[in-house]
Amino acid sequence: MREKILIIEDDPAIRNQLKTLLEGNGYLVEILSDFTSAAEQIKSFSPHLVLLDIGLPGISGFDICSQIRAFSDMPVVFVTSSNTDMDELNSIMLGGDAFITKPYNTAILLAKIASLLKKAYPISGEEAKDGMKLTWRGASLHPEKSTIEYNGQEAELTKNEVKILYCLFQHAGAICSRNDLIDYLWDSQLYIDDNALSVNVNRIREKLASLGLEDFIKTKYRQGYLI
Amino acid sequence: MSTAQYLKNRLPFLLVNVLCMVLLSVFLLLSGNSADSVFLILSVWVLILAAGLILSCIYRKREMDRLLAMTEQLSDRYLIAEVMKKPGRAEDQVYFRILKMAEKSMLEQVNAVRREQKEYREYIEQWIHEVKTPITAIRLQCENQRSDFSRELLAELEKVSQYTEQALYYARSEHAEKDYSIREIRLSDVVHQAIADNKYLLMQNHVAVEAEQIEDTVYSDEKWIRFILNQLIANAVKYRTEHPCIQIFSERRGDTVHLCVRDNGMGIPPEDLPRIFEKGFTGQNGRKRQNSTGLGLYLCRRLCGRLGIGICARSDESGGQGTEIVLSFRVDHFMRQVSD
Repeated sequence: MREKILIIEDDPAIRNQLKTLLEGNGYLVEILSDFTSAAEQIKSFSPHLVLLDIGLPGISGFDICSQIRAFSDMPVVFVTSSNTDMDELNSIMLGGDAFITKPYNTAILLAKIASLLKKAYPISGEEAKDGMKLTWRGASLHPEKSTIEYNGQEAELTKNEVKILYCLFQHAGAICSRNDLIDYLWDSQLYIDDNALSVNVNRIREKLASLGLEDFIKTKYRQGYLI
Repeated sequence: MSTAQYLKNRLPFLLVNVLCMVLLSVFLLLSGNSADSVFLILSVWVLILAAGLILSCIYRKREMDRLLAMTEQLSDRYLIAEVMKKPGRAEDQVYFRILKMAEKSMLEQVNAVRREQKEYREYIEQWIHEVKTPITAIRLQCENQRSDFSRELLAELEKVSQYTEQALYYARSEHAEKDYSIREIRLSDVVHQAIADNKYLLMQNHVAVEAEQIEDTVYSDEKWIRFILNQLIANAVKYRTEHPCIQIFSERRGDTVHLCVRDNGMGIPPEDLPRIFEKGFTGQNGRKRQNSTGLGLYLCRRLCGRLGIGICARSDESGGQGTEIVLSFRVDHFMRQVSD
């Protein structure tokens, strides 16, 4: 099931780009552009999470938040350009779940959204395990155990290797550029440079070869990696 | 008040007295009085005159000294006319009126300047909040269409946000308003956020980042620490040498937690080291690089001072060891016990 996120933001450029970003990360996104009857519209959208700007024309995000709290416990993330202490305090008092200041870091924003959704809508253990497992051409990656499995054999992976494989599995069948991979690793707090990436990929290839998987990761010259 | 000057000012009065004495003696001698009685009258006159002069001098001196001391104790000395008693003498009253008038015009000026300054500060804060919207929009656009071009743009954009934040904190640090909230923060969270803020800048300049050994938690304000770390990371990138590397780690030493930011950049010459936290100080490195404002580290120390964090710098230029900035947080046992 894809989670629905509602964006309440008055700047058209930001809300459209935010929509693209969130849709690119697998969420269903709605935009609220008429702020007069916010509460009714939010009820009819019934989103899983709301991204709320504080400075809206005609109404403050704080008011909308207290209106939401009157009927729902859904996670509310305040995104705002004012980072005064008062605003942060207000947002907590009114039941906001997170407070992120512009210009926000997309990696931090996405991580926050994911963790709030996970907390608010927990998935059962079985589902979680299946949801985590990724399979491609007979090889299954288990990020929670940090292992890769092929033909009933398992190989242990390091933190870096799991993240690299996770990114490749998510883009399975498409080329993943080295820069995108490095971006993804940095967003996961693994600060790896170009050389270290090559070293890690070679180590993964050795491990895969020991499982009998030859040529699983192909190098596309000047483009990136492909599985 | 000098006694000599006081007597000098009384000179015309004394001369009139002497003249009167001479005239009186001449008159008394001519009307047949003996020289002895004239001498007696004159000595009594001189005695009374001297006593009066000395007493009034002491009294005035004491009065003036009190006024001087009162003025020196005032923090805003131009307000003395509000505190002092209205004087009794005719000339003093004129001076008092002049003081009052001067004070009034001074107050008007001070208030006008204060109001202007406040309006300007509010405008700056407003402007910063407004400029953040387009920065956010450009950032999102670049992140949605990643290419080598957008990566370079993102690195520049990180500098832009850094400079806007600096302006905001500069505007805020100049006045005593409280804008922080102390809570328990995990240092690793703040460090990773600060690295994420400078991600493209670091990647573009091929800076190796090590930030693994950060386990401690401290009580402080998250966004201020993040700002300080951003400044330190930006400096490390600005003054990098070949194969740049930044290490960030924390360690606990007795009652303090140290958060160290170490780089292998060009280092700081020993003669500059004691002054790097001064406002506007750019030093030899700043002159070499041309784009140093002398504000970053000054703001860091100011914010640290307000948060009660120690900040110090170590550098070994000769060995090419780069610079190490250490933030030291005091461990608050009471807070720890309460939260446990």
